[in-house]
Amino acid sequence: MAERTVVSPVWLGMEQQRWRRLTSTWMMVMLLLFPILLLLGAFMRIVQANLLPTLLPEWFYAVMTLHGLGMVGTWFVGAMAAVSYILTQYVRPSRKVSWTALGATLLGVVLLLATTLVGRFGVGWYFLYPLPFYPAGIWPTWATWAFLFSLAILGVGWTIWAVDLLRAIAQHYSLRAALAWHYIRGETEPEIPPAVLITTVSLISALSGFLAAVIILVLSFLEWAGTGFTNDALLMKNLIFFFGHVLVNITMYLGVVLVYDVLPRYSGRPWKTNRIVAIAWNTVLFLVLFAYFHHLYMDFVQPQWMQVLGQVASYLISVPAAVVTIFSTLLLVYGASMRWTLSSLLMYLGVMGWAIGGVAAVIDSTIAVNLRFHNTLWVPAHFHTYYLMGVVLMLLGFAAHFGLEVSERPENGRLAKLIAALFVIGGYGFLSMFYVGGAHSVPRRYAVYPQEVMQGVDYARIALGFIAVLFLGVLLYLWETGRRCALAFRTSESS
Amino acid sequence: MRPCLSHIGVILRIALSTAALLASPGAMAQIVGEKADSPPNEGRYLYKPVPDILVHSWPEEAVRLSELWRERPILLTLIFTRCAGVCSPLLRSLKAAIASIGGAGREYTLVVLSFDARDTPSDMAGLAEHLELSKDRAWIFGVASAEDIARLVRATGFWFEWEEASRQYDHPAMVIGIREGRIVRFLIGGTVSPVRVQEVVREMRGEFVPAYPLPRRNVLFRCFQYDPTSGRWRPDWGFLLLLIPGTMTILGTVWIFRRERKHRAWEDRESS
Repeated sequence: MAERTVVSPVWLGMEQQRWRRLTSTWMMVMLLLFPILLLLGAFMRIVQANLLPTLLPEWFYAVMTLHGLGMVGTWFVGAMAAVSYILTQYVRPSRKVSWTALGATLLGVVLLLATTLVGRFGVGWYFLYPLPFYPAGIWPTWATWAFLFSLAILGVGWTIWAVDLLRAIAQHYSLRAALAWHYIRGETEPEIPPAVLITTVSLISALSGFLAAVIILVLSFLEWAGTGFTNDALLMKNLIFFFGHVLVNITMYLGVVLVYDVLPRYSGRPWKTNRIVAIAWNTVLFLVLFAYFHHLYMDFVQPQWMQVLGQVASYLISVPAAVVTIFSTLLLVYGASMRWTLSSLLMYLGVMGWAIGGVAAVIDSTIAVNLRFHNTLWVPAHFHTYYLMGVVLMLLGFAAHFGLEVSERPENGRLAKLIAALFVIGGYGFLSMFYVGGAHSVPRRYAVYPQEVMQGVDYARIALGFIAVLFLGVLLYLWETGRRCALAFRTSESS
Repeated sequence: MRPCLSHIGVILRIALSTAALLASPGAMAQIVGEKADSPPNEGRYLYKPVPDILVHSWPEEAVRLSELWRERPILLTLIFTRCAGVCSPLLRSLKAAIASIGGAGREYTLVVLSFDARDTPSDMAGLAEHLELSKDRAWIFGVASAEDIARLVRATGFWFEWEEASRQYDHPAMVIGIREGRIVRFLIGGTVSPVRVQEVVREMRGEFVPAYPLPRRNVLFRCFQYDPTSGRWRPDWGFLLLLIPGTMTILGTVWIFRRERKHRAWEDRESS
C-alpha cells in the first residue's frame, strides 16, 4: 500500500491566519501563567528560607500543589499547542478541538485556583491516596471535590485533544508508517518527518497515562460517594505515578518535537528520520510504560521484579530518546553556520538541560542511590533541571521562533544573549541549591526545616538570589517575545 | 547477691505503697494513663524512650529495665494477677507464640510486669508457676512501685482503671517491643500470633519489617495478595487494572488508524 507523505503543505491565507491566532492564544496563556507559577515557586523557597515565620504551613502545601500541577499542566498544553502548529505542515488537526481544549484548560485552572488558594487544598500535584480524603481540618470537603472535578475536566479536554492529533496523523499515515517501522527494516520511503514519529509515540503514551487518570478518578469518586468501598493504596499509587510520570515525560518528548523541527531551520542542516531515530523512539514507546516503577522503590509491598524492571527501564529509556537526540543536536550544530537567535539558543540550552537533568534522574533511579536520595531535595533538583532548563527552554524557544516568524520583527541580538545568560545563571544557580541540599539529605516538601537540617534554610536563601536573576531573565523574555505573540494575535484577528 | 534483708525491704516498700493506695479514698477508681476506646496508637509512641524502672521479682534481686535491654531487647507486657479477663489468655497465647518462634533468652527477654499495686513478687512468682514458666530464665515476672508503673504507663500508651462493680481493672492487652530503651513495636489484643511476634522480634533485631496499614477494610481491587506465613504474593484484580491503560491505548490506537484508513480508502474510491 502506498503511504502518503506530506500532503498538507504550509497553509496559506485564512487557514494559516486562524492557526496563528490559535497558537498565539495558547502561547500567551502559557507566557502569562509561567511568571505567576514561577513566583509561586519563589514563595515556597521564601517560606523555606524562614522569611515568613508567622505564615501557616498549610499555605506552603497549597501553593506547592498549585505550583506543581500548574507548571506540569501549563507546559503540557503549551507543548501540545506548539506541536499542533508544527504538525499543520504535514496533517490537519482540528482547530475546534484545540479551542475546546483551551476552554477546558481555563476552566480547570479556575477550579484549581479556587481549590488551592481559597480551599487551601495541599496534597501536592500527585494527590497521593488517601491524603485527599483526610484533610485533618485544613481544607473543606468541597476543595477535594473541586480538585477531582478540575482533574476530570482537564483530563477529558486533553484526551480529546490527543485523540484528535492522532486522528489527524492517521488520516495521512498508516500506524506502521507513523511509527517509522519501515525505517527499522532499512527502507526510507515514504519519508516520515521526525515530528510525526515522535508525536505519534508521545500521544500513544499520553493516552495510556490519561486512561490511568480516568481509573484513578473513577475509583476516587466511588470511594467518596459513600459506597463503603475502599481503594488499595498500592494500586492508587501505581496509577497516579503512571499517569504523572507519563505526562511529564510526554511533555519533554513534545518539546523534543519542536527541537527536531525548528532547530534545523537555524543550522541550515536537515534533521531527518533514520533507522536509529526510528528504533530509539519505538523503544521509548515500550519503555515509558515501565519506567514509572522507580517512583515506588520505597513501597516494599511492590514485588521485587517490578522494582528491578523500574531501574532497568529507567536506564534503558535514557539511551534512545535522550542520547540519540543530544548527539544529533550536537552534530546538527557542530561546524554548522548556526544563526544563534533567542529561539535557537534556548532550544540548544534546553536539550543540554535535558541531558543534565537526565543524568541526575538516572542517578536517582538507581535503587541503591534512591535509598539515600528518596524524598530529599535531589528529587526536585533533577526534575526542575529537565523541566525548567529543559522542556521550558525548548518551549520558550518555540514561542520566540513563532513570534519572530509571525511578527516578522527583527530580533535584538544582544538582548537575546542577555536573556539566555540570565536563564543559565539564574536557573542553574537556583538548581544547584537543590542539588547541594539533596546531597546533604535536606528533605523535600518541608515548609519549615527541623533543627537537624537547618542548612536547608541557607540553601533556600541563596536560591532566592538566583531566582531573582532568573525572574529578570523571564521579564526580559516576556518583553521580547510576549509582545510578538500579542502582535501575532492582533494581526491574525484583523485578517 | 544481696542479703535476704533486701528482699524484706522490697516487700515492705511494696506493702507500704499498697497500703497507702488502699487507704486513700477513691484511689482505686483513678485512671492511670490516657484511657481511650481504641487501642493505643502505635505511631504516637514509636521510638519514644521507656523509663528505666526497677523491677522486683521473686526470688531474684531487683533489676533495672536498662540492665535487661542492654543485654538484649525486651518484650514487655503489663497484667495483674487477680485478672479474671484477658491477662491469662494473653500470657498463654504469648507463651505459645514464643515457643513456636524460639529465641527467648537468647535473642530477647520477656518481662511480665504487674500494674496492680496489690500484687507482690511472690504473687507474680505464683503466676509464673501457674503458667509453668517459673524455671524459664527468659521470662521475668515482677512488680514495680506505683510511681514507676505510672511513668511506664504514660510512656507506652497503656492505661488501667479500677471498676468497682466488677472489682477488676479495665485495661488493654498489649505487648511492647523495646530495643535499647525505645519502643519499636506494639502487639495489641489478647491473642498473640506467632507471625506477628516474629515480626516484632525481627524489628527488635534491627531488621526492616514491612508493614502495610490499610486505612479501612472492604478493599475491592488489591494489586497483590500476600501470604505472611510463606512470604509469597500473587497478583489480584488490581494488578489487572494496571494493565488496562496500556492495553486499551494499543487497541484504541489501532482502531483510530484502521478507521481512518478505511475512511481514506472510501475517499479514494469516491474521488476516482
